[in-house]
Amino acid sequence: MRLSARGLVCDYGPTRALDGVDIDAAGGSILAVFGPNGAGKTTLLRALSGERKPDAGEVMLDGAAVSGSDPAWRARVGLVSHRTGLYRKLTVGENLAFFGALHGIDRDPQMAVRALGEVGAPDLVGIPVEKLSRGQRQRAALARSLLHDPDVLFLDEPFTGLDPGGASTLETMLNARREAGTVVVLVTHDLERGLKLADRAVVLRRGRKVLDARSPGREAEDLLPFFTAGGGTAA
Amino acid sequence: MMSLRWARLIAWKDLQVEFRSGGRLLAMIAFVVLACFLFAFALDRSQVPARGVAAGLAWLTILFAATTGAGRTFDTEEEDGAFRHLLLTPVTRHAIFLGKSAANLALVWIVTILAFVALTSFLGIRDAGSIAQHGAVLLPGTIGLAAVGTFFGLMSRHSSLGDTLLPVLTFPLLVPVIFFGATASARVFMERPWTEISGSVRLLWAFAIGFAAVGSVLFRYLAEE
Repeated sequence: MRLSARGLVCDYGPTRALDGVDIDAAGGSILAVFGPNGAGKTTLLRALSGERKPDAGEVMLDGAAVSGSDPAWRARVGLVSHRTGLYRKLTVGENLAFFGALHGIDRDPQMAVRALGEVGAPDLVGIPVEKLSRGQRQRAALARSLLHDPDVLFLDEPFTGLDPGGASTLETMLNARREAGTVVVLVTHDLERGLKLADRAVVLRRGRKVLDARSPGREAEDLLPFFTAGGGTAA
Repeated sequence: MMSLRWARLIAWKDLQVEFRSGGRLLAMIAFVVLACFLFAFALDRSQVPARGVAAGLAWLTILFAATTGAGRTFDTEEEDGAFRHLLLTPVTRHAIFLGKSAANLALVWIVTILAFVALTSFLGIRDAGSIAQHGAVLLPGTIGLAAVGTFFGLMSRHSSLGDTLLPVLTFPLLVPVIFFGATASARVFMERPWTEISGSVRLLWAFAIGFAAVGSVLFRYLAEE
């Protein structure tokens, strides 16, 4: 499986958030997207997932164009964002049951417990989301993103609010997803952790891709020049 | 069939969230009770027969309460960005619209019943006409209110004017609902024969079905970026 994008352009009014970005992410690999604030990382994720229709360019899975207006594509996508996307007044189990039912996988009563177990938090199932800490909510959001066993997993700053144990569980989970052949696209500010996890690293600056390279063997310091205007050379 | 199942799931989820938080429903109930209470003092009942004005007052009270509630239809979706995740499920946009409209309809029905009980009590109306006929008039009217409120509730959320925009958008569109609804309800209050009422009810159904269909189709353009 291969997720790719060609010439993605996204404008917000007069501001060009993405300017002709090409992306390639293979199944069974993790692509990390780095960049300073306002570089277009979240917009890229939104365009790839189909949440936002690009103004130009296209997103493809195995060479076939995909779009957010296609329910079949949305059924194959999982998303973790820095906002949890959970309903505060419902319990974690009710949230998972709701989203599971929308994906048509509500036949299994143990589904929520199993998904929470995968993120190391099976005991959260009966607790209302509003009573959870930020890190617990993030774990619940991770569980929700895994419920339907997505082929493509998008993560936008998923380490936000996680304690070291939670971050370690997330790393384990992402490695397991890689082993399972999932395409994982990870947007993060955490250079060290991102480089450690990723097979490939992309750096965006002002909506343009300024680096696209294999990440093993690279250090955070190698990428820092790309965060400053005019700095860095693609290698 | 799948869309109806999705709509049912979304409506049930919305009602669960609403009954646990209670904020929107309580605001609507408080508005209805206070408005009806004030109407009792605003009317000189020695000059104006209560049965003659009750229908108009009831429909306006329901309209204002429904608008208050519709403005907060998407609050829970946006507090932690849940709407973004809802849109990323395979659920069709018209199922989301129908589900959220159905949840709104349930809330509108609660305040509608309350408005009728409060008005008839505060205005001292003993003979309010057939309850079944009132229901037959109110059902299509409230479906229209809920559908319009849900559609424009999302549109006003996308605007920098927020809830202030909602009445400006909905009230002109709802003139037929108020006109035919109040006319039909007034005749039920006056215990006129059903043949004098059924024409207005048919027009209310036409509006309700028409707007639900149009809203279902257009909702995706509002919901998606």
